[in-house]
Amino acid sequence: MMTAVIPDQRDLRITQLADPESGNAPRTVVGARRSPAQVALHVVLAGMAIFVLMPVFLVISTTLKTPADVRVNPFGLFTSFSFENIIEAWTVGRFSDYVLNSFLLTVPSTAIVVVVSVMAGYAFARLPFRGRTFLFYLVVLGLLVPFFTFMIPLYFQLRSLGLLDTLPGAILVLASTGTSFGTFFMRAFFSELPQELEQSARMDGASEWQIFSKIMLPLVGSGIGALAVFTFLANWNNFLIPLLYLPSGDFRPLTAGLYMFTSGRSLDIGPLAAGTLITILPIIVLFVVLQRQVTQGFISGAVKG
Amino acid sequence: MTIASRSLAPTVTRRAQARLGIALVLPVMIVTALFFLFPLGNALYYSMVDFDGLDPNPPFVGFDNFARMFTDPAVWHALGNNLIWIVVGTASPMVIGLLVAMLLWTVRRGGAIYRVIFFLPYVLPGVAIGIVWGWIYDPVNGLLNQFLRAIGLGSLATGWLGEPDLALYAVLLTAIWAGTGFAVVIFLSALRNVDTELVDASRIDGANSAQRLWFIILPQIMPVFLMVLTLTLVGGFSVFDIVFIMTAGGPSNATEVLGTYAYDQAFVLNNIGYGTTLALLITILSVPIAVLLNRLQRRLSLQGTGA
Repeated sequence: MMTAVIPDQRDLRITQLADPESGNAPRTVVGARRSPAQVALHVVLAGMAIFVLMPVFLVISTTLKTPADVRVNPFGLFTSFSFENIIEAWTVGRFSDYVLNSFLLTVPSTAIVVVVSVMAGYAFARLPFRGRTFLFYLVVLGLLVPFFTFMIPLYFQLRSLGLLDTLPGAILVLASTGTSFGTFFMRAFFSELPQELEQSARMDGASEWQIFSKIMLPLVGSGIGALAVFTFLANWNNFLIPLLYLPSGDFRPLTAGLYMFTSGRSLDIGPLAAGTLITILPIIVLFVVLQRQVTQGFISGAVKG
Repeated sequence: MTIASRSLAPTVTRRAQARLGIALVLPVMIVTALFFLFPLGNALYYSMVDFDGLDPNPPFVGFDNFARMFTDPAVWHALGNNLIWIVVGTASPMVIGLLVAMLLWTVRRGGAIYRVIFFLPYVLPGVAIGIVWGWIYDPVNGLLNQFLRAIGLGSLATGWLGEPDLALYAVLLTAIWAGTGFAVVIFLSALRNVDTELVDASRIDGANSAQRLWFIILPQIMPVFLMVLTLTLVGGFSVFDIVFIMTAGGPSNATEVLGTYAYDQAFVLNNIGYGTTLALLITILSVPIAVLLNRLQRRLSLQGTGA
């Protein structure tokens, strides 16, 4: 059903291959390190890198302009320097509130996804009980059905439960959008652990709970880390859930706040740029610091999926 | 194998496993039932009633909402845009992603840095992407028009998101910018598992680079190729964020897709029943394709062609 590679070995293999000297590249390019072909390749790749990064440069450049400069030349790159736009967005634009709300929504919902998925993933992988396969199919059905299909009934359901426009309601919905993938993902990691570990622990008199928490859990650390980073990014970036289920705006996170800012005061490009930078900065920092976990998470998530 | 060894385990062990198993899946089942299965069932109910969001006992209309869908020209228009989105928005990231991955595969130094840069747009929130690309397409000061004027093509400069004929493609280009890095990273990881001796052997046998790609490399990364295809195709049916943010379906419905149309019907016009029916259409269209491609991918994986 899925690849039988133990996660840790996979990481190791990728690490080795990522080393430029290990040379998995086809020998077409073997030759001097500064061969013309390699130079041309870098020119092409660098050009593409600049194209890819251009919108990010644009945000930083417009954010750091003086308000007067924004008015006459909003998108000329790096023509003046001030922090006024950031201060304006942070205070008048309420982006300080939005940052706080983003964390209040993302951290608990990510924690719920990880805890719930690790528990369920272990049970679906290693603890047989009657009806298990059926329940697993119910959970992974969530991977096939777009959120779109049931977002409208969910709105009225939350309203009748008194969870509409509340932090717990939005956190639970955010968490629920991640548990299908999380369960599927963690099940794959637990399935790959050798049967002998479990059996010898049982011989030594360990209870089923001890086998799970003391023996198996520590072995899927890399999977848990990847799931946590992946879920954090997805929930931080989620736009539709806060837009729909937090309508009054008291708990508006960065994504929804930024959207409201565009429709309300579309001419304030300077603070809007600053707000955009405030929204993407935590993501960029997280991504650059943990880039290996992030890309590995996406790769193994996609391959296992 | 595992099932056999488990059924040999003593009854006590099996009972203990079942008890813990049920306890461990309980939370996920509660979340799934409350926030997925229940609203999904309600979606089927909503599609059968004429609900305005207020009436506690909305009138039952049977399949009227579905019938209305087939005769609504706006649905066909939106579906056509979804189709363009699916074809262009799937083919471009796949082709560009594969080419860039091949370049990164052959680069000897700095590959990791490029990989990080190319992947970055994929993790950025759609709202931020939509805002910035809105500035790039700005008719007066936008970077795209500035660039066109600078290279002497100023006559092509236009309000990209305001032209009904261009707006959809302008939004598509943004989506391609945001999504291609995903394909690059996945393809690159698949290329690293390609048997390079086979590639070298074919080169000695006189295969040119196009033949090597087509006959040697592509078959080996086919399962991963299909997997990326499935993910982008299914995403093409349920596209919403980027269109909603950049054009909201405009100008004059030119960029309307099923997602934005369903949203408007449900949350702007309060046609909850009809909006839900439209959203169901998205599922009905995308699920069979996902299942089909997934099966194909599994079959290829089982043949031991990598992934």
